[in-house]
Amino acid sequence: MTATEGTEAVTGVPFTLNGTDLEANEGELLIDAAERNGVHIPRFCYHNRMKPVGMCRMCLVEVDTGRGPALQPSCMLPVTPEMKVETESEATKEAQDGVLEFLLANHPLDCPVCDKGGECPLQDNAYAFGPGESRFVEEKRHYEKPIPISDLVHLDRERCILCDRCTRFASEVAGDPLIHFIGRGSHTEVNTFPEHPFSSYFSGNTVQICPVGALTAAPYRFKARPWDLEAVESTATVDASGARILVQSTRNELVRIIGVDSDAVNWSWLSDKERFSYEATNSDLRVTEPEVRDEGLTFRTVRWNEAAKTAVTALSAPPERVAVLGGARLTLESQYAWSKLIKGVVGTDNVDAQMGDGLPAALSLGLPRATIDEVCRPGGVIVLMAPDPKEELPTLYLRLRHAIVEDGATLVEITPRDTSLSDLAAVRLRCTPGTVGQVLAAIADERLDDTVGGVDGFQLRRARTILTGAKPVSVVYGRPNLAESGRYVADAVGGMQRIAPDATYLPALRRGNVNGALEMGLTPGFLPGGSRDKASFEEAWPTVPDFDGKETDGILKAAAAGEIDTLVLLGADPVDDYPDAELARQALEAVRTIIAVDCFRTASSSLAHVLLPAAMFGEVDGTFCNLEGRLSPIRAKVTAPGLARPDWMIAADLAAAIGPDLGFDSLEQLRSEMASTIEGFPEIDWEGELALADGPLIRLGRNWDLEFGQAASAPAPSSSGLRLVVDRKLWDQGTMVQRSPSLAGLVQSAELRLSPTDVQLLNLGDAQWVTVEHGDESFDLPFTVDAGVAARTAWLPMGLPGFDVRQLLATGRSVTNIEVRAAEEGDTDG
Amino acid sequence: MGYLEGFAVTFRKIAEGVTTRNYRAGRGGSSDQKAPKPERLHGRHVLNRYEDGMEKCIGCELCAGVCPANCIYVRGADNPPDDPKSPGERFGYVYEINYLRCIHCDLCVEACPTEAITETKLFEFSFTNRSDAIYTKDELLVDDDGLPQQLPWEDWRPGEDQHTSGWMRATSPGGKASYEGVVGWSGELGYGVREPEFGQSASDDPESDDGHDHDDHGHGGGHHR
Repeated sequence: MTATEGTEAVTGVPFTLNGTDLEANEGELLIDAAERNGVHIPRFCYHNRMKPVGMCRMCLVEVDTGRGPALQPSCMLPVTPEMKVETESEATKEAQDGVLEFLLANHPLDCPVCDKGGECPLQDNAYAFGPGESRFVEEKRHYEKPIPISDLVHLDRERCILCDRCTRFASEVAGDPLIHFIGRGSHTEVNTFPEHPFSSYFSGNTVQICPVGALTAAPYRFKARPWDLEAVESTATVDASGARILVQSTRNELVRIIGVDSDAVNWSWLSDKERFSYEATNSDLRVTEPEVRDEGLTFRTVRWNEAAKTAVTALSAPPERVAVLGGARLTLESQYAWSKLIKGVVGTDNVDAQMGDGLPAALSLGLPRATIDEVCRPGGVIVLMAPDPKEELPTLYLRLRHAIVEDGATLVEITPRDTSLSDLAAVRLRCTPGTVGQVLAAIADERLDDTVGGVDGFQLRRARTILTGAKPVSVVYGRPNLAESGRYVADAVGGMQRIAPDATYLPALRRGNVNGALEMGLTPGFLPGGSRDKASFEEAWPTVPDFDGKETDGILKAAAAGEIDTLVLLGADPVDDYPDAELARQALEAVRTIIAVDCFRTASSSLAHVLLPAAMFGEVDGTFCNLEGRLSPIRAKVTAPGLARPDWMIAADLAAAIGPDLGFDSLEQLRSEMASTIEGFPEIDWEGELALADGPLIRLGRNWDLEFGQAASAPAPSSSGLRLVVDRKLWDQGTMVQRSPSLAGLVQSAELRLSPTDVQLLNLGDAQWVTVEHGDESFDLPFTVDAGVAARTAWLPMGLPGFDVRQLLATGRSVTNIEVRAAEEGDTDG
Repeated sequence: MGYLEGFAVTFRKIAEGVTTRNYRAGRGGSSDQKAPKPERLHGRHVLNRYEDGMEKCIGCELCAGVCPANCIYVRGADNPPDDPKSPGERFGYVYEINYLRCIHCDLCVEACPTEAITETKLFEFSFTNRSDAIYTKDELLVDDDGLPQQLPWEDWRPGEDQHTSGWMRATSPGGKASYEGVVGWSGELGYGVREPEFGQSASDDPESDDGHDHDDHGHGGGHHR
């Protein structure tokens, strides 16, 4: 990466810049070397996170390499020894004047209506470097004013200066080459291909890097002008990658999110979910007042203390009859406060922030953790044993893709179906669901001749060669298939540890601050800091749980069996989000009191007896812990609606009503308690020097020896059945997407994906619908052929409209088999 | 007896007669005349329209951005394609001026790229509550007859809505004399734009060709053709 590496020691390429002798790094581009030394060369097309193209000619400077001065584009020119550069000479000025006058020959001067006006590089450069006037009197080039090139992005071709930034981003960075130059000469324009909208998950980035107002974001269109905006730096909380962002608001309403260039995490890129899901914060459907439900389905608005009183009564049940689900939405501070309330005051260990779609907490907390930089190091080996990162952790996907495409990293993919990175993989091990542990055990034991789990000997040998080679191995691991038991992933990790003992691991858990929740003890068996040492918390906390609690699966089963009196939902929505919908519904119906701390009325919080309004993203101060264990600030920009409050305050209030209070009533006190109670936890002060860096990593020193048993074997598939692969899509029916009006419409409806082989075997021919049989039930749903699906498997993402795949899933089942046949005529109406 | 000298001043002044102008600001009376106002007086604002009835305001918020008293609140919105309010993509969806704050500096008028906001000569308007002081688009926008809504507490007289302050807009963005007379606003939105002014090099003749009477403040900085 030629990115700004400001603090690195310069390793001597001497050159002269405007008469000053300086040194550039080896291979550094002139435009970067000048920037690092405080000389800004104007540019449009050059972007430090993309390859230079020299399209716009704005960065022309006078360079003398011994053959006399000549104008050269500084973005295409690595500094060479003894180069003499003039950025302010007459010739340079004249070139800059000329370039700007030509650019403005066709660029319309509709700055007052343009969303970019006021923060526009073309405007700024025209003022700073331009001639001030144009000699062109001819009519400008005209195109139809903004045309939507996707649901989120509008393109105004009149304004385009053909800098190639968006098109380079789409093809080089995102790998979605859906926009391109069309035409020649003065008729050159950027556009999409016919019938193919620019429906990339990363389309918002092109709006951010467009140096003019040619690409504008539909959600922000005409919402505000740059001088209206107030901004704070924060962290995106919709997924666990922890992208650094700038949150912008006007008149107490969030209006825009901009990616911040964080070297360690997101390199200024964001997914559209991170960029546009702020709309959920502004939603009219927020819960703004505490509500209680006595009987029936109607809620009654009450005051906080009445709601708290009801909640406290319920929480006073025997500890083993109290359970808590969720907590991934919360800030790290709130997670600690809730952890202390639940484990240290109420005294129950039945807490789980993962909704049955995660990994055993011991893995996440115990395995040697990799950073994103370590995973993406040039020339390394990346093992992907996770769901498609483009769907679940899009920002991580961009980093992985860059590492493989540009930096020579080798990808070994061990997934049940093709992911977005499959085309880049050196080896693809397409394991049949339920066999991944055995496949890795075979590689570890050098049983490389026979086919295991659908993977033939050739692939096994190739994988072994790469994984046991000299290159450092890092593993991105998660739950690639929600239709198989999570224990297979643990088996696979056990196998991986035998193959590559020095490998480091990056957990690909997608859910917001879930890594923070695990660190703060919102998982059974652990206390904050991943500690299992109850004695150390007995002093700091009023009490500690005296039993080992259950995970989500266990909690819901116990609740359904009537063994749980009080269930707290910390932003959790098991009815819509837990893979076994039937169990979740039974559980919530059987519980005596449900206390929901939520921002919206979801399928689950609508069943609550006490609904406490929580402040959400953009309204709370706190800390985020991303999948690397990197802490970064979450900052409030707007005030929470109505009586909604930060989650840690709710915890403190409830604790004060129950008995001993939590001992803090400000964020500072809470943070200093965290630093003193959790061993190795830093003192957080986001106003101080911490805020300037990429954020500290928490490595709380507990790399205990994990015990991995014999890899389990899944039952052999029946001759006619297909094994189901269930994962998630970026656009689904989750709360953040559905409550963001711009994103809600992007959700596609469910369709079964089958491999070409199976379509032939099953004689589906011209059929468009299939009947899926599962147990005694059968369902009709549409299907498509997908070469990325392995033979004898069927892929169907969760959380899509049209068909709820959770009807086919059940807690405790190791794998899910379905029978598929062509749907009979006449029952394909719906 | 020193106080008699004081009374002497009083009586002497009584004998000199009344010099105060009989200005009753709409409260009736026999000779209710407003004084002639300087040409560049800045009074109540209006939002103008083009000849075809389109609003000139495009909701660009430059007026709000430049306002030193922070009294203008503007929000733009997408022009409805089937019923556009202004030419182009964007129109002024919300336009409010808070007259409790406005200092009538006219910077909004200078900032306006489309001459949408101008100031009339009317300054005689006083209100008795806060909500009356906040003028919205309803009050500001001119009707088809070219007049804004005239509120009960405003003392409109003939001529006060004429020749509003838009004439002092800048000539060329770069301020170069050789570009005098060139419309700064783009040609695409150009219809209905007033002829540009002449700049420094124009004749120093204060006479205007619209027959308007200049008072003695006639030619300060800007020049009107």
